[in-house]
Amino acid sequence: MKRNIKYYIAAFLLSSVLLSCNSDWLERSPKTIITEEQVWNDPKQIVGLLANYYNRLAIFTGLEGNWRDKTMFDDAMWSGYSGEEWRNQMSSYGNNLGELWDYYLIRDINLAIENIDEYSTSLTDAQKQGFQAELRFLRAYQYFEMVKRMGGVPLITEQLIYDFSGDPSGLQHPRATEAEVYDFIASEVDAIKDQLGNGGSVTRANKYIALALKSRAMLYAGSLAKYNNLMAVPITTPGGEVGIPASRAQGYYQASLDASLEIINSGIYSLYKNNTQLGENFYEIFDKKTNNTEVIWVKDYKQSADKRHWFSYDNIARGLREDNLASSCITPVLNLVESYPYLDGSKGTLKNRNAGNTDYIYYSTLDGIYANKDWRLYGTVLYSGATFKGLPAGIQAGVKVWDGSGYKTIEGENIGTTYTDGKTLVGNSGPHRSMQEVSNSGFYLRKFIQSGVGTSTRGIRSDNWWIYFRLGEIYLNAAEAAMELGQSNAVNYVNTLRERAGYPANSLSSLNLETIMNERRIELAFEDHRYFDLKRWRKAHILWDGDRNNPQAMLYALYPYRVVGGSHDGQYVFDKMIAPRFLTPRYFQLSNYYTFIPQYVRDNNPKIVPNPFQ
Amino acid sequence: MKSKIAYFVFSFVLVFLFSRCEKDNYDAPTSMLTGKVTYNNEALGVRSNALQLELWQHGYQNFVKIPVFINQDGSYSAVLFDGNYKLVRMNGAPWENNVDSIDVVVKGNTIVDVPVVPYFTVNNVTFQKNGNQLTASFVVNKVSTQRNLKSVRLFLGKTILTDNGYNIARSSVEAVDVTLGSPTTLSVSIPDAYANSVIYARVGVETDGIGQLLYSVSEKIQ
Repeated sequence: MKRNIKYYIAAFLLSSVLLSCNSDWLERSPKTIITEEQVWNDPKQIVGLLANYYNRLAIFTGLEGNWRDKTMFDDAMWSGYSGEEWRNQMSSYGNNLGELWDYYLIRDINLAIENIDEYSTSLTDAQKQGFQAELRFLRAYQYFEMVKRMGGVPLITEQLIYDFSGDPSGLQHPRATEAEVYDFIASEVDAIKDQLGNGGSVTRANKYIALALKSRAMLYAGSLAKYNNLMAVPITTPGGEVGIPASRAQGYYQASLDASLEIINSGIYSLYKNNTQLGENFYEIFDKKTNNTEVIWVKDYKQSADKRHWFSYDNIARGLREDNLASSCITPVLNLVESYPYLDGSKGTLKNRNAGNTDYIYYSTLDGIYANKDWRLYGTVLYSGATFKGLPAGIQAGVKVWDGSGYKTIEGENIGTTYTDGKTLVGNSGPHRSMQEVSNSGFYLRKFIQSGVGTSTRGIRSDNWWIYFRLGEIYLNAAEAAMELGQSNAVNYVNTLRERAGYPANSLSSLNLETIMNERRIELAFEDHRYFDLKRWRKAHILWDGDRNNPQAMLYALYPYRVVGGSHDGQYVFDKMIAPRFLTPRYFQLSNYYTFIPQYVRDNNPKIVPNPFQ
Repeated sequence: MKSKIAYFVFSFVLVFLFSRCEKDNYDAPTSMLTGKVTYNNEALGVRSNALQLELWQHGYQNFVKIPVFINQDGSYSAVLFDGNYKLVRMNGAPWENNVDSIDVVVKGNTIVDVPVVPYFTVNNVTFQKNGNQLTASFVVNKVSTQRNLKSVRLFLGKTILTDNGYNIARSSVEAVDVTLGSPTTLSVSIPDAYANSVIYARVGVETDGIGQLLYSVSEKIQ
């Protein structure tokens, strides 16, 4: 009985708990789901979302992701892990090189633009406009990344909704023409440039970042219009998805020049000149974040926020590595090193043999051969005799022993070895003909390798930034556009850049495409330009023609040796050779100018026409 | 004791698991599809490892092409499962682009030649070695009206794989100096290092706007 009463009481209490609560007691807002209304009315959450979109923008060969592809062309070779040796042995480029068909990001951006209109009630109109302009910039940038690889792509600017009717044809959009995509980028920039906030920011889109996009995109469009039509048979599709009419070239070049001049004349940016050692100065553009007024737009990394990358770990010189693994993956080759001219304006070919090619030229130091070179070489490439982080690079391939009539070359089985005279045989960083993770070319990368202590270790890693746009490029864009428009002041922009690299004032008196090509190669090396530049000038298939006898299709190495004995004892000599691990000439075919449309895209959408040669 | 039993059961389960996986394994494909790229039933020479044919097979979820590279002598081969395939000729080759696919039924070893219409052909090729000079004589014929001739080139190589990428010496003649349909000669000096060794010679025809050359048969020069 007593027990029954207990039950009654319990039942009563329970029912009163369940019944007495008022109606919304069970209607809790979920703690793990954020509603659309919450997101689009909270600027902080919108910025969080934007960060996600910024992070997903495509970079072909940056500091993360496909960084290894920096070794696919003619500036560097692969000296890292031997499992990636195919990069030195490609019989031709794949038809999917640089493939990008990322409509996931495009859709997310379209959705965000529409949701701000639909859900934002507490944001001011100015805030809404600012966010939408920023989103439209990101979309325009992503379309630029796609068009420069794939040619014209479908321009989707609103979310596509399936009506479950069984007929998906309403979702299948044909490719826009190549010109239409470039026009879209230009018109988007024009529409949003004055709506963008973020003045002074180098990470979030502002007016000048948008203009920089226009400067580059219009230059690409102009040169495509001009140089494609100069080919014997231009690369086109009947519908114009690939191929821009030659008549458009002038207009595009003018638009590019106007955008470049607006940035240059804004007075906000200036070339980085904080270090009087000109080589270090050039290197610091990519390493120093304070008082750096040259950068326009970067993808920033930050140690304290755990936003870090592995680029220094993978690419630091072998003898300087702070970890016990990796290093030395991307190693610049002699081709790039020799493209840096001498400061007196002469061609950059390194002088290792005397004029009659009968004997070596002897240098008393390991870096003697690089004397009076363009200082950008120092800032980009770590060469023999140079120092990094206060330590010598340790680049020496072996010794040449004088036997009375000639030299006997002695190289070591391992790096960091000592010759019988007690001095260095092979330096700590090689080069070595076959070892993995030791430079095979005789050079290492300096640009983008962070200077701080421990940045090449797995535990610390690096947080130097990736530069999308900097003023140096804008100068070169302006020079090229002005040259193509026949303006005589074009050369001044290049001369300004060259002055920073150590040349006297007005070092060039005139400009042609060859000079522009070389200046872009050496100023912007490893900044994700060379592949796209050679494509838009339609030069890639000429330079990289798959011919072993063509020095531009082969990659070369420079091996330094110490002389032992004879009258030049203790001096250094240099051997040029085809890089030992590089076996197959670069072979860029006409079909590589436009990456093939992925098969799944064509399967899903029959309106997509294939690229030429596909 | 109890734990020992557990080990026995565990190892029994393991043995059971690993001995049962035969069921869903396929045998490797065994049927050989071979053939040649031909014009007028004659094989056409190309650069090795540069040109592709595509094989497609409908009816499976994974619809991707099987790339088949064409050998330097115009032949190709692929080891396949028996079945029906579509063979597609790709654009960018030194022959007319033809988007029509060829139906291929693979049943055991199968031979299928791929007919194409080249832009140009090179016929009646003869080589004459005279001291350190090698002279080629040949006739270039225009077959298709779609494209123009760019140049004709002569290559010497160390192996039968001689082409514009792998060669030890070459020379070329521009289109203006070639009379279509009548004999043309082209000579090249043999590098001293190869004066006494076996070399191969080959003539290639380059078409405007096409990266790939069409080659004559790679011929051994004693």
